[in-house]
Amino acid sequence: MSSPLVECVSVVKSYENGRIRALGGVDLEVEPGEFVAVVGPSGCGKSTLLHLIAALDRPDSGTIRVAGHDLGREPNLDHYRARHVGLIFQLHNLLPTLNALENVQIPMFELRIGTAERRARAQRILELVELSDRERNRPPQLSGGERQRVAVARALANEPPLLLADEPTGSLDSEAGRNVLDLLGRIREERGTTLVLVTHDSDVAARADRIVRMLDGRVDESPAPLAAVANLRPPTLRPIRA
Amino acid sequence: MSFSSLVMRNLFRQRMRTSLTVVGIGVGITIVVALGAITGGLRETVGGWLRVGGADFVVARKGSADFSFSTVSDREWRQLDAMDGVERSTGALIRVTRHGANPYFILMGVRPADLAEAPPELVSGRLPRPGSTHEAILGSRAAASNDAAPGSTVTIDEERFRVVGVYRSDDVMTNSGAYAPLRTVREIARTPGVVTGVWVEAETGTDAAALASAIEDRFPTLVTVSGVEDFGKVDQGIAIMDALDLAVTVLAVGVGAIAVMNTMIMAVFERTREFGILRAVGWRGSRIMRLVVTEAVFLCLVAAVFGTVFGVLATRGVMLIEEVQGLLEPRYTVDVFVRAVLIAAGVGLVGALYPAYRAVRLSPMEALRHE
Repeated sequence: MSSPLVECVSVVKSYENGRIRALGGVDLEVEPGEFVAVVGPSGCGKSTLLHLIAALDRPDSGTIRVAGHDLGREPNLDHYRARHVGLIFQLHNLLPTLNALENVQIPMFELRIGTAERRARAQRILELVELSDRERNRPPQLSGGERQRVAVARALANEPPLLLADEPTGSLDSEAGRNVLDLLGRIREERGTTLVLVTHDSDVAARADRIVRMLDGRVDESPAPLAAVANLRPPTLRPIRA
Repeated sequence: MSFSSLVMRNLFRQRMRTSLTVVGIGVGITIVVALGAITGGLRETVGGWLRVGGADFVVARKGSADFSFSTVSDREWRQLDAMDGVERSTGALIRVTRHGANPYFILMGVRPADLAEAPPELVSGRLPRPGSTHEAILGSRAAASNDAAPGSTVTIDEERFRVVGVYRSDDVMTNSGAYAPLRTVREIARTPGVVTGVWVEAETGTDAAALASAIEDRFPTLVTVSGVEDFGKVDQGIAIMDALDLAVTVLAVGVGAIAVMNTMIMAVFERTREFGILRAVGWRGSRIMRLVVTEAVFLCLVAAVFGTVFGVLATRGVMLIEEVQGLLEPRYTVDVFVRAVLIAAGVGLVGALYPAYRAVRLSPMEALRHE
């Protein structure tokens, strides 16, 4: 049996000097190539967990190991972020002044590869997400679904073994969201990439190999039918048209 | 996409702000270049003056606030002329007077016999004859502005001189002045028995520095000036210009750095979320710092180019003023431009350090939360 790609042990994270406890001792393992959906109500700590795995923040206590890297002891988290994880946010978070092709090249600056190679590589990835014809367009010139596909392409830029997606379809209409999920599924099949996805959406979660439910900063171990996540989509989020 | 094209893209996103910053720093660089060229010209003029007639050094009165106030008596001149190692000594009385549009016309009183021994480069006519009293030779610039030529007459300090020759010199003040017999210039200046300075040429095989030192030992109230760097012993003009140059440079750097800092802090604040994204996709803090610093330095180098061009144009403009034409000729030496570029780069670096520090200080998560 292979060792898990992601291993979280008793992870605790608080904010505002401990007044707000986001994670209260989370244990989680994700196997290589696995697609795990993390679900739970707003404020349950699922995004915090994702950000800690992405090394955007450090836990107060506990251990997070990803691909053999103990993030608590990792001296160079930038290097880790550049090579081991690809992040997809709810809002695309593309750089507005750069076109699609340039946005995809941004993470590659850390790979010490030449300009021409960066460009060729970004073109291949845009082809993979079926946006070759939009490579010259800047984010404002793209639809919401296209922007999110560019964001997926950017997350894949450095060929990380782990993709972390925080509500990747949360701001898309159903068709655009379905396209993005199809794309993520295809990438996972073709590349064997491990995918950890945070969502409120039961339809999205239903695509995963495994659903991890979170409640009040902990993984909810109690058995629950998939229908239990059916009402998790917050009413305030309004999809935009693709 | 290269790193530099990313830098350019970021600078062009706020065109007006970038342009205004370039203008602000460019004005500072313009002044630095203009002042540097003028100071350089002044140094060149003084340097040329000190080497007139192949002299190794000039002897003048110690502590003079201005070289033209120096007085060396005929007795002192005779004594130093008789010293071992002196090949030739030429006493000159410098009379600074207004002549036509030139308020700094230099009338140099020299004995015609001495002038014949170390003559300036004549372009027409001849030198004043020994024993003559009202024969003068004019510098080519002075001749041109007076429309004078050998055979014509000029009135200097209410004294009429017959122009017998025209000479040329590399330094603009000499070129804008005239040589006349010492006796006549003394009468005009009402300073009998003294010269302003004595130009000394050492004998072949004599160490000029040792000779200068011996003269200073023997005449404690006299000093020797062998180069521009010594000129402060007898004239504060260059020292004042140098101080002004330094003050303006410091001011330009200070004001420029504040302008750059302001621009870059605003840019960093506006792009905080973007820096969070860059950190999230793996950019090192040092790379983000390099991005901010490169943007600032690039901005300043563009300002340096504009500032340099306008600095040259500004000095050319100053040279259109007739009163200035006879005083100095700006020198656009490489070091003036190198200094402008270095100052601009320094301004960029100093101005960008704090904004760059701010850009990398935030954690990726804090930056991503920034609205």
